[in-house]
Amino acid sequence: MNAPKQKPPPGRGSRPVMGWLGATLLLGIVGGPMLWSAWCAAQAGWDSAAWLALLEHPQTLAALGMSLWTGLASTTLAVAGSAFLLSRTFGQVFWPLGVRLLAPLLAVPHAAFAIGLVFLLAPSGWLLRALSPWATGLDAPPPWPTTQDPWGLGLIAVLVFKEIPFLLWAAATQLQRAEVAQRWTRELLLARSLGYSAPSAWWRVVWPQLWPRLRWPLLAVLAYSLTVVDMALIIGPTSPPTLAVLAWQWLLHSDPALNTQGVAAAWVLSALLAGTVCVAALIWKVPQRALWRQLWCRGERGKTGASIRLGPLGFGSLLGVYGLVMLALSVGSVAGLWPFPGLLPETLSWHAWASVWGSLPTVGTTLSLALASASAALLWSVAWLEWAPPGWDRRLRPVLYVPLVLPPVLWVAGVHGLSLRLGLDARWAGLWLAHTLAAVPYVLVALSPAYLGFEARHQQVCASLGIGRAVFLWRVKWPLLRAALSAGFAIGFAVSVAQYLPTVFVGAGRFATVTTEAVTLAAGAQRSLTSAYALLLWGFPLLVWAGAARWGQPRRF
Amino acid sequence: MSLRIHLVNLSSPTAMLLQSLELNIAGGTIHTVMGPSGSGKSSLLAAICGTLPTGLVFEGDITLNGKSMLALPTERRGVGILFQDDLLFAHMTVFENLLFAVPAGPKNARVAAVEQGLMDVDLSAFAHADPATLSGGQRARIALMRALLAQPQALLLDEPFSKFDAVLRARLRAFVFDLVKKRHIPVLLVTHDAADIADAAHLTHLTPHAHA
Repeated sequence: MNAPKQKPPPGRGSRPVMGWLGATLLLGIVGGPMLWSAWCAAQAGWDSAAWLALLEHPQTLAALGMSLWTGLASTTLAVAGSAFLLSRTFGQVFWPLGVRLLAPLLAVPHAAFAIGLVFLLAPSGWLLRALSPWATGLDAPPPWPTTQDPWGLGLIAVLVFKEIPFLLWAAATQLQRAEVAQRWTRELLLARSLGYSAPSAWWRVVWPQLWPRLRWPLLAVLAYSLTVVDMALIIGPTSPPTLAVLAWQWLLHSDPALNTQGVAAAWVLSALLAGTVCVAALIWKVPQRALWRQLWCRGERGKTGASIRLGPLGFGSLLGVYGLVMLALSVGSVAGLWPFPGLLPETLSWHAWASVWGSLPTVGTTLSLALASASAALLWSVAWLEWAPPGWDRRLRPVLYVPLVLPPVLWVAGVHGLSLRLGLDARWAGLWLAHTLAAVPYVLVALSPAYLGFEARHQQVCASLGIGRAVFLWRVKWPLLRAALSAGFAIGFAVSVAQYLPTVFVGAGRFATVTTEAVTLAAGAQRSLTSAYALLLWGFPLLVWAGAARWGQPRRF
Repeated sequence: MSLRIHLVNLSSPTAMLLQSLELNIAGGTIHTVMGPSGSGKSSLLAAICGTLPTGLVFEGDITLNGKSMLALPTERRGVGILFQDDLLFAHMTVFENLLFAVPAGPKNARVAAVEQGLMDVDLSAFAHADPATLSGGQRARIALMRALLAQPQALLLDEPFSKFDAVLRARLRAFVFDLVKKRHIPVLLVTHDAADIADAAHLTHLTPHAHA
């Protein structure tokens, strides 16, 4: 008997011509600008004079070294810190609670965190106030370079505190998968029954299996740490700054020759990133076989001791730092008179908030851009996932991830070139385009697992009931994917709010958002106004996250 | 050598799992505990290993060679366990899986112990194989040898045969019982299958509790 030919699954070529047309159009809308931006970036750096000037510039080499030092040191410390916390919590009673505590830490924007940490560590910050004068003998803020220190330690600290929750979260997504979690928990138990203490068992049994699965998150951390600009402006060293900051300063300069030199520096940064990744891959490959394997199997059991309590203690300290940062910002935003060793301000003042209220256009620009670009990115991503043939999606992902892969300074130069050619520079629409392109890859990453994993038989059931595609999407598929869709929107919103470089550069300085205000103010002395903007920067994405989580809850009966 | 379990109560916050159970297992004996699922078998094993989930409370005492183990962490109890799944570590070869279990000491002696162990389970040819390439029966034998190479003072078998078909199961059963008896340690086997009973003279039936 001949079975009737199976209809291909929904959206996967059921109407091939329509699907291809739609997908091509979608690709043109987003992939086109992305490739074009990359091309603009390449073109902008195509000038031998700029390269020569870059090579001869006295700060280039030192800045390169500073980038390498801060990037590698912070990545190494963040990996070591997360691995240590995991070794003392995974499979323990504390673990599920620890995972739940991570989400609010992840939602904190980098710039807001950096500003808050500056207020803790600065010579007039809480740390020294708490110790003065009884321990330090100081009754005036000392002239110490504690925040924009020439060694980049402040920058490293911010990066480590910011990346540890991300790495823990990345590890948790692996460790939460039912089959993996159960197996590894039992393998740990088995190793303990063979006499290994819990941390030793973890290092020998789980870590070697977990670590290869973390290579993409690790790469993201490395890329971010090597190329970050906004946090480095707030807390990073100044002479020399990191190469990313140097490139950014040249890009903003009024001299076009220096602009080109900035693009060239951004390319050097890309090469540095690529080189570091290659070296890291080699280092990872070489000792893996012989040396590590011997270490695993030497038979030493490790000491059973109280060190297991360090896990919850470490999580607690991490939370404590974030809590203190938030508290410092909150108190700072209403501080009036606050002479040095005093732990709390002598007078409170709503002055900062009043002036935030007075600059409503800034808030308006922030929100309108974030809402518009998050909506656009979400709409585009849903349309792409729905209509793009799977082969296209797989093969074209690298193009769509361009904004993630390129260092921000290089990307921003490209988007700027694009907006110039489209006549959109210094306009709201240009910013909207830049923010949307930046949000697309994040929204795609967040949406894909749920969207592509959607049970295909739902569509077949609906088709057998005589229900068409449109009704199926509106009444069945999208309602079922509500949690993923709202999370995607929240991520797009958060990405847009946090955009610093494109807002300044594509907007030609004419548009102020909460982020640009906060970063600009951080360089000045207006503590309360800076705090207020940093809190807003923190608050907007948090509100949208909360709203998305609420709206995304499954229907209750 | 003996493993003694004096259980007054084993309870979760909402239910009583086990009550008044006395087990006294001498070295070289395989004691079988039979019961359907839900009868508290796995909780009993967890209590002996020291891995009771939070909320479960064990009242009574567990002694190994006369010493109470209740206050000791899992790794200091000297109790080996063999699960239904072999749980061979995927990132180590067969040889390394076994070497992992051998207590620290001179390298030559440890390697020799592993080689002897491989001979005992007739798998010397697979020393440097990836565990994933072995058959289920071979993996089970390696897992047993790994548990034994750690020189446990007592061994728990948690339904170790239930995954296999009848023929392999009978062979594996004979193989395991033979190997563990030679070690003269107390062995506790839990199962829901009457065919697994090692020795009818050492047998306890559990009945599911339904107290609220």
